[in-house]
Amino acid sequence: MTHSLLSIACHAYGLAALVYLALLVRPVEALAWAGRLMVGGGLLLHGVALAFLWTDQGSLPVGMAQGFSTVAFLSLAIFLALDVAYRRPVLGAFVTPLAVAVLVPGVLLRGGSSPLDVDGRQPLLPVHVSVALLGLAAFAVAAMVAAMYLLMERQVKGKKFGLLFARLPSLQFLDELHRKLVLWGFLALSLTLVSGAFFASRSPGGLWQWEWKTVATLVAWVVFGTTLQARMFGGWRGRRVALLTMAGFGILLLSFLSSYAPLGGGAFR
Amino acid sequence: MSAMELLCIGLSHKSAPVEVRERLAFGETRLTEALAELRHTGMEALWLSTCNRVEVYVAAEDAEVARARVLAQLASAGGEQALSHLYEHRGEAAMVHLFRVASSLDSMVLGEPQILGQVKDALELAQREGAARGELVRVCSAAFGTAKRVRTETAIGRSATSMASAAVELAAKIFGSLEGRVVLLVGAGEMGELAARHLAHAGAGRLLVCNRTRERAERLAAEVGAEVRDFAQLHAHLAAADVVVCSTASPLPLFTRESVAPYLKGRRGRPLFMVDLAVPRDIAPDVNSLDGVYAYDVDDIQKVVAENAAARAAEAERAQVIVAEEVVRYSRARALRDGVPVLAQLRARATEIASAEVERTLALLGSELTDKQRKSVAAMANAIVNKLLHQPTMKLRATGSASEPNRLADAAAELFGLDAADDVHVPQAATTGVRSGAKQ
Repeated sequence: MTHSLLSIACHAYGLAALVYLALLVRPVEALAWAGRLMVGGGLLLHGVALAFLWTDQGSLPVGMAQGFSTVAFLSLAIFLALDVAYRRPVLGAFVTPLAVAVLVPGVLLRGGSSPLDVDGRQPLLPVHVSVALLGLAAFAVAAMVAAMYLLMERQVKGKKFGLLFARLPSLQFLDELHRKLVLWGFLALSLTLVSGAFFASRSPGGLWQWEWKTVATLVAWVVFGTTLQARMFGGWRGRRVALLTMAGFGILLLSFLSSYAPLGGGAFR
Repeated sequence: MSAMELLCIGLSHKSAPVEVRERLAFGETRLTEALAELRHTGMEALWLSTCNRVEVYVAAEDAEVARARVLAQLASAGGEQALSHLYEHRGEAAMVHLFRVASSLDSMVLGEPQILGQVKDALELAQREGAARGELVRVCSAAFGTAKRVRTETAIGRSATSMASAAVELAAKIFGSLEGRVVLLVGAGEMGELAARHLAHAGAGRLLVCNRTRERAERLAAEVGAEVRDFAQLHAHLAAADVVVCSTASPLPLFTRESVAPYLKGRRGRPLFMVDLAVPRDIAPDVNSLDGVYAYDVDDIQKVVAENAAARAAEAERAQVIVAEEVVRYSRARALRDGVPVLAQLRARATEIASAEVERTLALLGSELTDKQRKSVAAMANAIVNKLLHQPTMKLRATGSASEPNRLADAAAELFGLDAADDVHVPQAATTGVRSGAKQ
């Protein structure tokens, strides 16, 4: 049941991705609406499927497949919210393919291993996991927006007025959106670290353990924190910040993956 | 009796990069000198120099000599390299080109209105210097008529975005909207004014104007609601500006990488969009390599404009038809005009002969004839002249479909031994005849 729901949602996203890519070539309002409807419908089915999973498993969806699935769900939800707020459907041409790429392996893998042991399950844990995934989704969208900025900047700087130059939003818009997403992602990431530290302090290993996940997340946190600082006080903008965001997202992705496929003991014990 | 041939030699944004064009961008003094030199050789000349084109139009009896002189002038100013970017048009092709240029069909920004004024200015200067007299003045006024028709009968001018509005378009790609942005205008000339109006219209927050002569800056500021800033402190104003539009006649760049870089710190990373509408350029090309600075010169702006040029292509085609019509019309008029002096000369000569013969006859016959008979003899002579000349007159008036000088008129002049050198006193020949004027 949940799997077929997820499969339909996945197909809707795939179609939406194609629609958004077509929109890049032909900017027709009808295509923008088709994309919105498909992503919206997909999110609805996807949301129901995730809710079933949560209730099925008692407390929360764990495991790699669900993790990937949830990140895709949240990224697309963020995108849809942004599109409704700013009317920039062209974002979809970047976010939907990424979401599909994240979701498909999850659907094919099914289940997968759980990073959390039973004794680690506590009432507050769902909050920790949800916030962590939300932060990751926000950074995923931010990284895409940063990529759009870099592409657009290259065109404006190099005076190559191709398709992207005509379709992408202004540099200012992309930079500002990127800043907001990083700020929200950073807040979520901070919350994740604090709640993670709380669980860690109650686990047998104590507050600090040398784990890939913890180290990578901390590094990412520092990168994003520095980026925000540099932006606020050092007047850093545009290209440099976009590159930092993409690097930070890469580190965070590594941390996320390592919590499912432990590299040298990745999970909380 | 050879006719004046129209010749156009030049280069434009289509044939030459800005590096070459800026070397040939003459100021008024240089233009005056160039015109004087051409005038002394007896040809008519007009020198059109804008930021997108440098074109020399000459009307000369010996096109080869004229061509050689113009090429020598262009080579001495722009070097041998400039010669490889030149194009040439002769006769009707030159006329078509001039009509297209004046109608803004050859412009970087199709349909932009400035070029007509620039051609008018060029003609005015050439007339003032005595370089444009008959032929060029007439061709130009036909070109202006064509431009007017193109403007009123097609939509090309209405959808036209000038260089300035192309710059506004580019600014939107960087800033999204110009609302609240500070625009620094460097140079208060016509280009600067146009840019200021466009930017103000697009919602720019504040306009700052810098000009070497402060009075001009103040005048422009008063017109468009801008604030005047000190030209000496030019770079310091970069801290406040978001958009810089340059259009000065400065021979050297005002902004270079070295001179701009120190002033970027105070901007706290805000992007800076610099538009250079001037040729020679006011902004050195390496400024664009600075982080967060986007510097565009006239050629770059052309590329932006090419983006939405397709929409205007259809209108341009309609305009092209108008140009063709006007060229044919002018050619007819010109052929007729060429024929008229010959005709007048022919008629004058015939009348002269007839009246001489009448006088001689009457002198011989003496008092044998009554007054009425005398009048009859004179009338008969006139009638013969009229009947003989009727057919040639019609023919000479009718020719003129071809753009070339009226060959029939030349033939008639040859056949009847008419020439300006004969100095037949015919009023039309003195006022409208380019040839008789040029020969003396």
